[in-house]
Amino acid sequence: MRSVALLVRKDGRLLRRSPALLAALIVYPIVIAVLVGLVVRFAGEQPRVALVDLDGIPPIVEIGGQEFDVDQIIGQTIEDIELVRLDADAAERALKAGDVLATITIPEGFVRALRGMLRSPQLRLDFNSDVLGTRILNKVQALVFSLNRQLAETYIAANLEYVDLLTVGGSGSFAGSSFDVIGLEEAGRRLRALGEANPDLRPEFDELATFVDEAGLALAAVEDSLRATAHPIELVEAGTSGRDALLSALVQAFGLALTIAFISVLLAAGSLASERDENVLGRLLRGLVRPTELLASKVILVAILAALVALILAIALGVLVELNGVASEHPWERLPLLVLGFLVAGASFACFGTLVGTRTRDARTATLVALLIALPLMLVGLVPTESVGGVGIVSDLFPFSHSVDFFDAALADADPTRAVLRSTAWLVGLGLVYGTAARLGMRRLLA
Amino acid sequence: MVDDLARHGRPYERRRTPPEHVTGSSGPLLEAQCVGRTFGARVALIDIDLRVRAGDSVALVGPNGAGKSTLLSLLAGALSPTSGRLVHRGPGREIGWVPQRPAIYSRLSALENLEHFARLERVASPAERARRLLEIVEVSADPIAAGTLSSGNQQRLNLAIALLADPEVLLLDEPTASLDPRQRRRFWQLAHALPERGGAIVFATQHLVEVDEHASDVLLLEAGRSAFSGTVADWQSSAAIEGLR
Repeated sequence: MRSVALLVRKDGRLLRRSPALLAALIVYPIVIAVLVGLVVRFAGEQPRVALVDLDGIPPIVEIGGQEFDVDQIIGQTIEDIELVRLDADAAERALKAGDVLATITIPEGFVRALRGMLRSPQLRLDFNSDVLGTRILNKVQALVFSLNRQLAETYIAANLEYVDLLTVGGSGSFAGSSFDVIGLEEAGRRLRALGEANPDLRPEFDELATFVDEAGLALAAVEDSLRATAHPIELVEAGTSGRDALLSALVQAFGLALTIAFISVLLAAGSLASERDENVLGRLLRGLVRPTELLASKVILVAILAALVALILAIALGVLVELNGVASEHPWERLPLLVLGFLVAGASFACFGTLVGTRTRDARTATLVALLIALPLMLVGLVPTESVGGVGIVSDLFPFSHSVDFFDAALADADPTRAVLRSTAWLVGLGLVYGTAARLGMRRLLA
Repeated sequence: MVDDLARHGRPYERRRTPPEHVTGSSGPLLEAQCVGRTFGARVALIDIDLRVRAGDSVALVGPNGAGKSTLLSLLAGALSPTSGRLVHRGPGREIGWVPQRPAIYSRLSALENLEHFARLERVASPAERARRLLEIVEVSADPIAAGTLSSGNQQRLNLAIALLADPEVLLLDEPTASLDPRQRRRFWQLAHALPERGGAIVFATQHLVEVDEHASDVLLLEAGRSAFSGTVADWQSSAAIEGLR
């Protein structure tokens, strides 16, 4: 352990004397992390919107004698948005975590109000007021417009039945009350009959009959007027303080994992190969240091450095979240768990890096090879496992996707224990496999 | 031993046989018995025998690729033999190794290099020992990167690191290849302090004049095999030397 500490101290000193390398190792992965995180978050999937149905709307709703297929109407209107049905609490958490971009809430009594036609029922839209949130607002406005148009047709048809009832007479019901009306045509006939029966009052009866006729003509034109209006649903828009797209838990997890992966793999590979570059490997391994100690020193230093950089990044993102006014459920108390994840992930990536280091002849080749190998493996980790066959297996064999799972769970899950334990087991297991392979490969370094 | 080296500032006096008082009955300091080494399918060394006794100054000669550096790496313990065995009197640290290319951290200073290796060697008072050795090899303790030192100074630092653990046997792999004549003289003065005080040196060289001036014994390697083994006197009268001239 003393030898490991001495080697770590020496490597730390060497790193401090290479500020350009250190700066590149820190800045480059962060920039890549942000870019890739954004691409992953929004290019590879439809924006997710939560649908909270507090009214328990059935799949088919009957209004004004016409049936509406709710899912079909929504699907036709917002094809490029993934609508996720959630309960109110889950939707609130998902919106705050940035896992959904908006929440549409259907309140209790919505369908009853629609059927009653006495007042406009309300839909509530909660969204993050960034560019993507505005895009969602536009989509939902389009949805409401479409619903309004279809409902208006139904309402107009229902209202025209009343108009017809007023004109020709008959039995009907409104707001649950039944009634019988004689109709304007019959009223006109009766008024004229009364005028003929009462010559003294005929002018008055004729005047009333004329009014009734004109009213009938006016009602005949009401259909066009009804179709020209109709906005039965009112959309109440309310901005929220959830994470915006840039600060979503998933994007943060990608950013942190990418940062750690780049730093750890490149630095571990380059650092081990540089011992060979400096020609000191033979001197060290002839009894001063055991090969396992040399590998351990690289893994420890790299894991600590990667964790430090990731911690700075996580704190910066946390401050941004706070400045954004996000009421996060786990603002800072998850930081220790994250740091643990940084160390475990850093060590796992570093073991992979040392394996690369044992297979290359000098530090420059090692870092180039590490980059060439690690980059596609990281990108594989970003591909949805269900989209391409075999991707999941390849992704599982590299620490990246497990690191993302760990960080995402630590940042957003209500209870991250299970996900964290599973990811940790993967990271430790992969680290042991890569570390063992690197240890076996150490012989080659002296050849 | 370090202080012995420090006192050994006088020019090296050529010597063909080890002093009597050093060749005791304690046996060889280091011995290779039928040692062989392969790298995959490539055979680097075959059945090499070598005995290094106290006071010896053994020269390894041979063309490039003959196996000199591989043999020194095996003797140093940096490589393991694939056949035969190596026997040495101490637990291993008593062998100092000076690789042909300086084995130093180029971004650390000379003093930091020495202190680092002294701590790994578990030397008592590593900082003090490092400064003392820098004085002996006459390399500056200024905080400048060792990679910026002249090749002669880097080679002397290389030697100083090998001397940190007070070795009984010093293995030198073409140590003067990049040194000017004055630096060579100074280097050999330092190196020969060891056999003078009861240790031994084994050095690989391409310069036959160094064999004449600094060796007591010679091992000629050709394609990984021993082509000649004996004293310098035998070597100078043998036909083997003609092939190298």
